[in-house]
Amino acid sequence: MLQYWTAILTEAAIFAVLALGIDMIWGWAGDFDLSAYAYFALGVYMTMVMTIGKPQAPVVYILGWHLPYPVAVILAVVVVVAFAAIIGAIALRSLREVYFSITTLGAVWAIYYAVENYTPLFNGYNGVYGLVDPLGGGLSYNAYHYLFLGFCLLVLLAAYVVVQHLSTSPFGRMVRAVRDDERAASVYGRNVFWAKYRTYLFGAGLAGLAGGLFAAYIGAFSPLDWKPTEIFVLYAAILVGGRGNPKGVVLGSFIVYVGFVEMTRYIPSPAARPELGPALRQILIGLLIVLMLKYRPSGLLPEKLGDDGTIRRRSWPERLLRSSGTASNEPELLQGSSKDEVAP
Amino acid sequence: MSIFWISLGQGLAVAAILALSSVAFTLEYAVSRVVNLAHGEVLTIGAFAAYVCETNLHQNIYVCALVATICGALAATGLNYFLIERFRNQKSLATLIATLGASLILQNLLLIIFGGASLSYGFSQGNLLHVGPFLWTTLTIEVMVSAVVVAILIYLLLQRTRLGKALRAVSQNRELSQVSGIPARGIVMQTWAVAGAVSGFAGFLYGETVGTISPTIGNGFLLLSITAAVGGGLGRPYATLGGAVVLGLVMSIAGTYISSAYQLVVAFGFLVVMLLVKPNGIFIRGSAQTVRA
Amino acid sequence: MTSPLLAVKDVSKHFGGVAAVNGCSMSISEGSVVGLIGPNGAGKSSLIDLISGFERPDSGSVVFAGRELVGRRPDVISRMGLIRTFQTPREWRDLSVIDNVRVGRSALSRESIWRSLTSGARLRREEAAENQELFDLMAHYRLDGVRNVRASGLSGGQKRLLEFARIASAKPRLTILDEPMGGVNPVLGERIGEAIRELKRAGSTVVVVEHNLPFIEKTCDEVVVMDLGSVIAQGHFDELRNNTRVVDAYLGNDDE
Repeated sequence: MLQYWTAILTEAAIFAVLALGIDMIWGWAGDFDLSAYAYFALGVYMTMVMTIGKPQAPVVYILGWHLPYPVAVILAVVVVVAFAAIIGAIALRSLREVYFSITTLGAVWAIYYAVENYTPLFNGYNGVYGLVDPLGGGLSYNAYHYLFLGFCLLVLLAAYVVVQHLSTSPFGRMVRAVRDDERAASVYGRNVFWAKYRTYLFGAGLAGLAGGLFAAYIGAFSPLDWKPTEIFVLYAAILVGGRGNPKGVVLGSFIVYVGFVEMTRYIPSPAARPELGPALRQILIGLLIVLMLKYRPSGLLPEKLGDDGTIRRRSWPERLLRSSGTASNEPELLQGSSKDEVAP
Repeated sequence: MSIFWISLGQGLAVAAILALSSVAFTLEYAVSRVVNLAHGEVLTIGAFAAYVCETNLHQNIYVCALVATICGALAATGLNYFLIERFRNQKSLATLIATLGASLILQNLLLIIFGGASLSYGFSQGNLLHVGPFLWTTLTIEVMVSAVVVAILIYLLLQRTRLGKALRAVSQNRELSQVSGIPARGIVMQTWAVAGAVSGFAGFLYGETVGTISPTIGNGFLLLSITAAVGGGLGRPYATLGGAVVLGLVMSIAGTYISSAYQLVVAFGFLVVMLLVKPNGIFIRGSAQTVRA
Repeated sequence: MTSPLLAVKDVSKHFGGVAAVNGCSMSISEGSVVGLIGPNGAGKSSLIDLISGFERPDSGSVVFAGRELVGRRPDVISRMGLIRTFQTPREWRDLSVIDNVRVGRSALSRESIWRSLTSGARLRREEAAENQELFDLMAHYRLDGVRNVRASGLSGGQKRLLEFARIASAKPRLTILDEPMGGVNPVLGERIGEAIRELKRAGSTVVVVEHNLPFIEKTCDEVVVMDLGSVIAQGHFDELRNNTRVVDAYLGNDDE
């Protein structure tokens, strides 16, 4: 039982890191990116091929080094950011909203397709496997998992602190201004592309970092493990927790991830119809997304307003319950009708 | 999808189906200013409706075609009523994501009901005929003819009927149309019903042409419809039609050089290039500094 | 004679087959408040787009403080000290009112990721030090009661005043206002006129596009008249009353 919860919480923590990255791109900059899962997968693959050593035939993959785990993760993040630099440069130049999303979707398909079919990269359909073991050998099975959970939570905490700091900094404020009105931001001297691009790269880096963690957790990774549609779970988590609010994003990740895993325990998936469980899960994700968008688009913890330093902060139960009904102070992020959208 | 793209002759039939799908997609955008990411699923629903009609209800091909059309219309109208219209007071990105959620729900519902494997249509393909340089079955010819007929019907609808005129008014300015006495909401619903009917019929045609269907065929159609519509001119039916023709040509030409599996990649590449070079569509004048729907 | 702050020379721009701006030339001296008037379709807003970099002229040149603007991006141009408004007020709706003004302040060097992470505390102190000045500025525009309100919750009039507060905190060399009085009641109109004079006192040159001629007469030192895409006259308001070209194009048709 404890093992089960250790596993779930470890995964949830890793996905929370990924969600923090995606929220930067969507919540802060307003770009609905669909390629983040490719960055995550690349992070996993690169970390693995840099730590598990040379491939044994018939398995084949690139590199095959034996680097220490932290070094491998850092290098993996660099590789991921390099990819994001290319994709972002194409997609963010002049494309917005659905066109941006479609372009990133194409990028993730292209990467998925290349990885699945071009075997010399990461052993194609069969994938890569091998113990990465960042904590050095010699630990009992259980001790390793508890310690690794602790390690992931530490990394999550560090990522959270950094992201939260950035969110409330002048940079974070400026990115939201660019999101809210690009033309006005240009008029006040902001380079719109550069703002979105930097955010995109940082978010991709977090995705790569999450991938590095996942590599050590899972020990085997193939295209079966990372269908690009998994990203919708993360968007559901961000919507539930609070788009644009790092605390909310972490909260939402745990709620959705743990909630779904718990729920799928009770959903039957007969052997004759193995696609039933995952399909039901996707339906629930879709429902969650639609319902959150319709009824509580700002999530449990809405994006924080920068204030003048004189406000008394309401305690979190008060804010959660939204009791004082200051609905006018809720972010419009997704509300406000399309006719309010000023032509760019 | 790989058998799908075999020969140029069959490619033309496919292009015809794609043209219908793209025009339906662009009509939805024209009247609601929404990129409907669940568009592929409307097609799929039509395809499966015809399948059920044939396999379980044992009706003839014409009845099944009608059933597909009606189910498509119902699906699109339902989508519009329960989702699109409810998100009218939200920004377009929110509606977009909501249609994505709807797509997830619909596609996986179909997966649950029908399973993931490909299912075959039972309609006979008819005899092979030589028509000029092409080798077609009578079925394929019927497909192309009916596609042309539907296209003509759409043209007549847009140009000659009151619905068509009202559609154009609402598409340009919904509020103004309402103030001028046009029942905008009703027009929108009717347009979606028409778009859905066309999509459902296109789904049936697809099943006929290829012979097999599965719940995920919507993804390819969505991408291709978006490519044709954006490439030609989003929201403009004739421009979109032109875009579908160009796309069909591009893919056929590419298909003679590279394997059929890559054809979606070619289509996608075409889309990205169009977005970067001529974002308003080949057939539309004007430029935009940033491209948004 | 000192060189003008802004020199527009023979600027033209066609959209489709239509010449929105056609061989337009004008010069703006530093320290003045200049009105830009003309009938609808004269090309005033297009000209502003061309000056501020949101559109690129087909031909001609725009020189601001001795530097050529044509071909530069809008954000580059505004960093040179030129700020323009749009016909509808544009605020950053999901930011607080005070954040709107803070972003307007254009402290770009603070917005690097690296600096935010390494010297975050110092950035916060720097911003806090500016707080009082911002509070005073906002009180001046009667926005002090709504400092922490989301900008989307402001009334239309407050949004207009927010624009002025934002411009004031940005301290531009040249401000171009595109119909700041659109849909504004007379009381607010007075306030806006006052805001323009304050901008001038603070050192900004101001160009105002407006249809409200009494307002132009009261607020502006000089007036530029456009028609059919080019400038047909430039001078003091009273001189222009007697200019037949101007009268034909515009003043003759004005109905008060």
